[in-house]
Amino acid sequence: MSIIKTEQLTKVYGKGATAVTALNGLNIEIQPGEFVAVMGPSGCGKSTLLHLVGGLDKPSNGRVLLDGQDIFRLNDDELTQLRRRQIGLVFQFFNLIPVLEAAENVALPLILDGVKQNDARQKAEAWLARIGLSDRLTHRPDQLSGGQQQRVAIARALVAEPSLILADEPTGNLDSRSADDIALLLRQISEEWNRTVLMVTHDPRIAAHANRIIFLKDGTVVDETRLSSNGHQEEMMVRQKLEVAR
Amino acid sequence: MTFQAKLALRYMQGRKLRTTLTLIAVMFGVMIVFGFNGILPAMEQALQTNLSAAVEKVDLTITSESRGAFDASAVTLVRETPGVALASPSLVRPLLVPTAQAVTAADGTAITSFILRGVQPEQLAELNPVSLADGRLLTDADDHSVLISNNLAQQTGLGVGDTLVLPASTGLLTLEIVGITVGQPPMGSEELIAPLAAAQTVFNLPGQINTIEAKFAPGSDAQTVQQAVLARLGSGYKAGGNEAGSEFATAMETGRLVLSLFGIIAAAMGGFIIFITFRTVVIERRRDIGMLRAIGASRQTILGMILTESLVLGILGTALGLLLGALLAYGLLVGMQPIMENMMHARIGGPSFAPWMFVLAIGMGLGITLLAGLAPALAATRVQPLDALRPSLAEVERRAAGRSAIAGIIIVALAFLTLIAGNVGLAALGIVLFMIGLALIGPALIYPIARLFGRLLSLIFAREGQIAQGNLTRQPGRAAITASAITIGLALLVAMGGLITSLIGGMDGWIAKTLGSDYLFMPQSLVLGGGNIGAGPQLVEQVKTTPGVSQVATLRQTTAKIDGSDLQIVGIDPVTYPQVSGLIFAAGDEAAVYQDMANGRSIVVNGIFAAQSGVKTGDTLSLQTPEGVQAYQVAGIGGDFMNYKIATGYISQANLAQDFHETADLLIMVNQQPGADAAQVDGALRALSRDYPAFSFYSLAEWKTEIGKSLAVFNAMYVLLIVLAIPSLIALINTLAINVLERTREIGTLRAVGATRRQIRRMITAESLLLAATGTVFGLLAGLWLGYILVGAMNLVGLVFPFSYSYAGLLLAIAVGLGFGVIGALIPARQAAQLDIVRALAYE
Ligand SMILES: Nc1ncnc2c1ncn2[C@@H]1O[C@H](COP(=O)(O)OP(=O)(O)OP(=O)(O)O)[C@@H](O)[C@H]1O
Ligand SMILES: [Mg+2]
Repeated sequence: MSIIKTEQLTKVYGKGATAVTALNGLNIEIQPGEFVAVMGPSGCGKSTLLHLVGGLDKPSNGRVLLDGQDIFRLNDDELTQLRRRQIGLVFQFFNLIPVLEAAENVALPLILDGVKQNDARQKAEAWLARIGLSDRLTHRPDQLSGGQQQRVAIARALVAEPSLILADEPTGNLDSRSADDIALLLRQISEEWNRTVLMVTHDPRIAAHANRIIFLKDGTVVDETRLSSNGHQEEMMVRQKLEVAR
Repeated sequence: MTFQAKLALRYMQGRKLRTTLTLIAVMFGVMIVFGFNGILPAMEQALQTNLSAAVEKVDLTITSESRGAFDASAVTLVRETPGVALASPSLVRPLLVPTAQAVTAADGTAITSFILRGVQPEQLAELNPVSLADGRLLTDADDHSVLISNNLAQQTGLGVGDTLVLPASTGLLTLEIVGITVGQPPMGSEELIAPLAAAQTVFNLPGQINTIEAKFAPGSDAQTVQQAVLARLGSGYKAGGNEAGSEFATAMETGRLVLSLFGIIAAAMGGFIIFITFRTVVIERRRDIGMLRAIGASRQTILGMILTESLVLGILGTALGLLLGALLAYGLLVGMQPIMENMMHARIGGPSFAPWMFVLAIGMGLGITLLAGLAPALAATRVQPLDALRPSLAEVERRAAGRSAIAGIIIVALAFLTLIAGNVGLAALGIVLFMIGLALIGPALIYPIARLFGRLLSLIFAREGQIAQGNLTRQPGRAAITASAITIGLALLVAMGGLITSLIGGMDGWIAKTLGSDYLFMPQSLVLGGGNIGAGPQLVEQVKTTPGVSQVATLRQTTAKIDGSDLQIVGIDPVTYPQVSGLIFAAGDEAAVYQDMANGRSIVVNGIFAAQSGVKTGDTLSLQTPEGVQAYQVAGIGGDFMNYKIATGYISQANLAQDFHETADLLIMVNQQPGADAAQVDGALRALSRDYPAFSFYSLAEWKTEIGKSLAVFNAMYVLLIVLAIPSLIALINTLAINVLERTREIGTLRAVGATRRQIRRMITAESLLLAATGTVFGLLAGLWLGYILVGAMNLVGLVFPFSYSYAGLLLAIAVGLGFGVIGALIPARQAAQLDIVRALAYE
């Protein structure tokens, strides 16, 4: 069974003359363990899609099924718990809590879930070590570089061991080396730890790390590509497809 | 430590300025409530010259429920009650003697304040044994003898065989000191023990007593006997001494009312500041909260986080507030000592803090913090995960503003209804409702007002004014919070100022009308409610025949019983009194009322009595008089300055003489003939007054300065006002500072694209001024209205005076409002201008 399935997903912002249709009857399906990139021109509805799949916003029409379950049938508490246990979120702006240290930020989802402080801390430190930040455990966000902050955010998304990672332009603020690191990390997440990753990006180099790329335009899927392995050729192909979609 | 507590603490550490300011706000509220309540007992104690000292030996003390005097025949009733072995009457009252009769202590100070205890000698020995240091006890044969304490003897050198001269209705009463007693004198005053008849002469209360002490037969059940005694006496009596210092208690109640009003307002203010702070906290953290929600924090977690923070602040602030409150109380008492000594002839002790005050202060500190934190905390739970990703919510805010404005208008209307309802408790509730309503209406009005003032402001700050105006209208909710901090603060200041001005103005009006004669003879020791030393008819005769005097009016006084409690009765001459002076009427036609009084048993009752008993014009009052029960028709409601605080009825002097056998003049008001030589009249009357030491003589000018001194006490209330003004300043700085903090990144961007430090500073200042102007306009309007409510509430309890305010006060309020805006902007504006651009851009 697919882990994500959207059925006729539609989102309209505003009313009347100023109404904007961000998603227009979107149907996509993603299998467990897949690493899927979503691409498309600015304003085509990428973030909206991620928000709806993450249960952060409600659709105007259509359904989102996670593991076959219609998430908008859940009440707020159930949805919150789902986000806490099943979904890891990474945003373009890092959204760490400014007054908490790196390790504390990473431990947040566990602590919110009632895990003991010490256990949570240990897990958080382990994840920070895995992403190469074991020497920055007690730094506050404003004492970290942009790339480091983003890696902390990814560690936080992973710490509760969710089956699904949603990342909205996780590399949008980073230089190309850090961006590559993040992309590799996300790929590792799906390949080695068998998590599903749904990532929005503008960067063909980053998208090339994915197994599959979905191209959106005006709120609908206009193209889809499966990638076998990453490499220069694939990146070139992605660039071409982007031009066509535009 | 729980996760919520940790986050709360981290936020508090991370925002030191804001945390400090909030803490100060909580602290201030607690400090004022705790401190003021702490000084009240000391003040009361100072005023309540402890009348029934050394009563341990008796089984029962009976006093009048009205704390006044009653007929000595009641002793017989007590004595006849089975189980009572002994019953002894006494008349115990404070006595202030004129300086001429003062006893001089060795250190040169004049002792003018005594407690005169009139007793029946033979019973004193049995009931209240007095130990002697020297001389002998009183005997039944004594009539002009007195016992003084060895404390007084040591201070003054007086001894057995010396004499003591006291003022009395008949002139002076000379008493021989026959014994010196051992023991601690009651607080503040020296005790003189004299035969009952002598005390009755001094106080002009023939046949009257105010205390009965009884001893029960051995083996009788105290509870049963006490009940039997009270049953036999009928209504109007109570078991227990006159601890509540008789007449002063009434005056104290007024003072207590005013102080509690301050307490309530201070508490409301503290609560409001805390509320504002937490609202800003929630707005400031919108993104953080949204993010927490996005990664799976439940609504309860968010609620817990904000409430934990308010709880921590509440606990810290309360603890500090208690400490500072105690300090404040000590400071105030030390500062007030000279005034009290001067005016009340009383010494003040230290502050005392009863357990209930701790409960009140702590309950208030924690309760209000939690309560004030609750609404914002609930608002925080409504923050959506997406709010972490989207910055502005102006659109939503404006719609919500419209809705809450409607709610606000309804609440303000309700507040207005509470005033009409005519109940003081409701009116007080109305004040709170009014403030809440105002806070709700605020956001909807910010937009138009910001535009209006913005135009003015852009004349001064050409470019920055525009930006500032934009900033405000973009986030009306946040702007409204800041403006309402000023509004509420200023409204309270204007309202209290209005109340005080009205009170003083009202008193001035009352004095001018009811005591505005050219000259006054006033008893030195004027004690409200009866028991004063009046003058016989000779004094008035002599005054009348003094060359240059045109009209003379007098006030006489006694006490009547109505439904078992005391009513002070003042006798006036319906013809001369309105010529020289006059009552101020709340109901009834002046001329007709005086006519009615001249014609028969008509009575004018004052506001306090009317308020307490619900009596209206046309009602009939059955007064118990020495001539039996007499029916008096209420001709009007009105009063004079002297008696406005205590339940009083005014009847004609003819009726007073007929029904009450009272003819002594207590207060003599004199007008001089037009064209008479003022110096000559003044001199002649002044010379005359020397023969009547129980009276002080005042010319109108002297009297006004004298009264000015006592009204100066009210000026102290202006000091309280300033104390109350500080919290609004804190609230203002707080909100402005948070305002700037929240926009750190935005300001960084502005700096990055080329705004100079100066421009940033001017922008923030312009913004503050805009907010201050808005807040000031509302504050003035709301304050005037609130003042009107307060005066109305005072009127409801019988303190009738018209509402007035001074233009100077309003101008001052405007200056304060705008000044606060500028001062409140200084710190944040500096902070904003000094922001490090790089850090600001990295600020999360
Ligand atoms: N809260 C909102 N209110 C109104 N319109 C919105 C809102 N959020 C998004 N939109 C509109 O919906 C459309 C899709 O927005 P979305 O944020 O999903 O785009 P995107 O593909 O993520 O763009 P980008 O690549 O620039 O991030 C856009 O036209 C946007 O203007
Ligand atoms: Mg986007």
